[in-house]
Amino acid sequence: MRIGLLTEGGYPYVGGEARLWCERLVHGLAQHEFDVYALSRGEREEVEGWVPLPPQVSRVRTAPLWAAEDDGVVHGRRARRRFAEAYGDLVGALCSASEPVASPSASEVVDSAAVDSVALDSAVVEPEADRFGSALYALAELARDEGGLSGALRSETAVRALESACHAPGALRAARTARVPDLLEVAAQVERALRPLSLDWYADDGLGAVDLCHATTGGAAALTGLLARHFAGVPLLVTEYGVRLRAHYLGAPGEAPSAVRAVLAAFHRRLAAEVYRRATCITPGNAHARRWQERCGADRAKLRTVYPGMDASRFTAVGESPDGADPATLVWVGRVEPAKDLVSLLHAFARIRAAEPTARLRIVGAVPDPEGAAYLGHCKALAEHLFPDEAEGAYAVGDNPVSFEDIGGPQAPDLAEVYGAGAVVVLSSVIEGFPISLVEAMLCGRATVSTDVGAVVEVIGGTGLAVPPRNPRALAEACVALLRDPARRERLGAAARARALELFTIEQNIAAFHELYLEIVSHEPVRRVLVDGAGEPRPFGAPTEAHLPGRWTGRRRPLRRPRWALPPEHDTARQDLPGYDMPEQDLPGHGTPEPDTAAHHAPVPAAEGVR
Amino acid sequence: MSDLGELDRLASTDDLDTARKPSPARRVGVDPVKALMRRHHDLCERAVDPLEIAAGLEAHGLTDRAAARFRHRDVFSLAEEMYARVPRSGDQLPPSYDLLDVAQERGPWALLALLPGALCAATLVGQRLTEGRVRVTVVALGVLAVALGLRAALRRGPLRAPSGTGPNTGRAATWWLLAYALLGDGLLRTALEGGPDGAWPPAPVPVLALALAFAPATWCARLLAVRARRRLAASRGLEEFASSITPLLLGVVALFLCALGALLVLCGLVLGAYGGTGAYAGAGALGALLLIARLLTSHGFGQAPAVALATAAAAECTALSSVFAGRLPGCSFLATPVHVLADTWGADAVPLVVCALTALILLIHATRTLTRASAHAQPSGSP
Repeated sequence: MRIGLLTEGGYPYVGGEARLWCERLVHGLAQHEFDVYALSRGEREEVEGWVPLPPQVSRVRTAPLWAAEDDGVVHGRRARRRFAEAYGDLVGALCSASEPVASPSASEVVDSAAVDSVALDSAVVEPEADRFGSALYALAELARDEGGLSGALRSETAVRALESACHAPGALRAARTARVPDLLEVAAQVERALRPLSLDWYADDGLGAVDLCHATTGGAAALTGLLARHFAGVPLLVTEYGVRLRAHYLGAPGEAPSAVRAVLAAFHRRLAAEVYRRATCITPGNAHARRWQERCGADRAKLRTVYPGMDASRFTAVGESPDGADPATLVWVGRVEPAKDLVSLLHAFARIRAAEPTARLRIVGAVPDPEGAAYLGHCKALAEHLFPDEAEGAYAVGDNPVSFEDIGGPQAPDLAEVYGAGAVVVLSSVIEGFPISLVEAMLCGRATVSTDVGAVVEVIGGTGLAVPPRNPRALAEACVALLRDPARRERLGAAARARALELFTIEQNIAAFHELYLEIVSHEPVRRVLVDGAGEPRPFGAPTEAHLPGRWTGRRRPLRRPRWALPPEHDTARQDLPGYDMPEQDLPGHGTPEPDTAAHHAPVPAAEGVR
Repeated sequence: MSDLGELDRLASTDDLDTARKPSPARRVGVDPVKALMRRHHDLCERAVDPLEIAAGLEAHGLTDRAAARFRHRDVFSLAEEMYARVPRSGDQLPPSYDLLDVAQERGPWALLALLPGALCAATLVGQRLTEGRVRVTVVALGVLAVALGLRAALRRGPLRAPSGTGPNTGRAATWWLLAYALLGDGLLRTALEGGPDGAWPPAPVPVLALALAFAPATWCARLLAVRARRRLAASRGLEEFASSITPLLLGVVALFLCALGALLVLCGLVLGAYGGTGAYAGAGALGALLLIARLLTSHGFGQAPAVALATAAAAECTALSSVFAGRLPGCSFLATPVHVLADTWGADAVPLVVCALTALILLIHATRTLTRASAHAQPSGSP
């Protein structure tokens, strides 16, 4: 199967976000062929270069999203009229005040396995969303027929269309206050966001040739997949570990006028809604992302939470060895920044010390930026103020019960040992996405106490204690309860490790995507008509069995045959034909991998892949 | 020992228990959402839709379980209530844009603008002071220096062409027009009289004046940019902006023409011996043409100026060659229009008519394109 992996500021670039996850996915699913289509976000990424690519990545195409390249395309009269019409519709849909996010339909019972195409017709499409979508595709078709849109999207035609949309009856209240600089700013930002439209990726030798588009983020990458779906009918799978729309709200500069923010927010909202509407399957990284997606109009039947995978092998030794922890030590691990609310942790620790005078706190963390460094200094000062140094006897040198350490320092040589040395792992954040440090602690078999933010409760399940954020007293009580009860700590730790191994390993992540790929391709195969040199359709060009998903004969291990012995590949239908592989009695059900129960307690190293 | 520990434990739990009683200051009022809105006042004030409030609340650590305390199912519905309850007092105008980014943009361009004029003047002085072979070398070096100086001066400052506009097709035509201003009138005059027999006198006055006028041209372009940005920030509609920018554009061109005229007169006085008003007007028209073409190019409309400059250059070339072609047997009719023109207004009239017409057409084009708001937007790639 040929997968089009769509990334934005991600995978093949060394410094890209979510790079590790994509890398593991590509390595883990070596039986598929990957075409990587990467949008780069900055010059720095391009300078730093790519990570080494495995042989299953057959091609990489990149395009910059950051450079304003003027392609010098001058449209003719008809193209200009087409553009004016389509752009007018687009901005008209953006500026109209009707609310696009409908609360999701009340299908409470969701069978998560039912990734079906029923979703397409189930949602009642409201006119404005439809208008946005059709205008978007009209612009994309124009870009395909006539060349780049970058000049046209910044032209006076565009600004005029924007002005009349903002002043039209029924426009957004904030948009009505737009002045000329605001219009120019909006036009420039929309041009930026629509740059994927001008790419030449959607032809038959590009994204038109893949069997499935996997967008690794929302936003521009998903827009690319949307267009591939529109032009070539390729099914789209969208993975969002952080919801792009939410990131847009949080990252939007506050000093911009409200008109600009309102129209741009509407753009991102409508784009997200269109992506969710058209995608065959959406995989949020946690329940929090899932809620946002549901809120933005994603059908519940399409949503399937796939937790990010962590490398469990690093923590196996600590997790499986008998408890070597100091029974009075609390450990905090993470990046030092104000959102982690270490101040509240220190105040809580003051209360813990009042109850358990032998308790110690280790704060192990990296400092990401100057703001974090200042915050760390503040926390150190507070710790010295709250806890005077103390010594064991009259002649011993004392030290502070709170220690600040770096990973790799003499006290904390390695992350697993840090977790292993603590009786309880604490998390005191006020803002948290997916708490990686908590998962690591769980893999180490530690009992955890954390604040109830982000995806924390979802991650720990019943295997740790959760307290409200900004509540040092509750945090202290929970910690004291665990410090005083070693048996409970051990029980929780064992449960935590079992849970983490079941849910948050690389293997489950890759297996989930493997299964999803097969399911999507079996439900929505791309049917292409093969033509011969004369342009006539070639009969039996794509045999019926080519539409069967993947290697349905199943395989116990990754391919070990030399390249020359591989079955010949078709031009369009890349699935291997059945019969080349193992005898049929090896079939494990219907092509879906068996649940890998054995692996949960003896995790295989990441290099070995999923099975 | 154990009972001591027990006592300790009891004491500590007591400690925790006494602290558990809520202090009266933290009592939640009858309307908890209102208190929440007060706490997140800025967020509510600036939010453009409920989702923005929801994102902001979540970023402050509010979860669905916390939203339940406000009698809401989730953060989204809480955010919707908050968004609906934000008091909105009519349409208040957003704060005006600060113009610092334009005003602060200083640099070497203001001095570089003087470079072509200075180099041109130095070349002329050198040409006056030297003789023979040395003079040829000095003039050649001077022309090269002026060309390089002009190139450097156009690299930055308000007359800079935006990056990525492709090859500048108007460059060759510009050099041809300048060369014609230097040599063309003399050649045409001698050609009409049956020459040329040997060298004819060049006209350094218009070239020097134009080189010196590069500085006022840059300052005029700067004036246009600053004023246009200010009007842009102040205007509420595109029509309003267009109608306010037209007089500004015409005024800037007129201002430049005044400066160029003064420079022409000055150079004529210093260098002496220059043609009549026709020659002055021709140089002025050429200056206006070059200014408008450069203004258009620097605002991203490179195509029309390139065509206009090429047309003007081609017209002058045609005028010259038609005179020579008229000497061929049976082709004397070819030279008739130029002869008529030269007999009526003098040989200076050819560049005057050509440049003035082109400049006028380009000016009309500029009043339609440079009055667009999109022409004055900051290009996204610019620093």
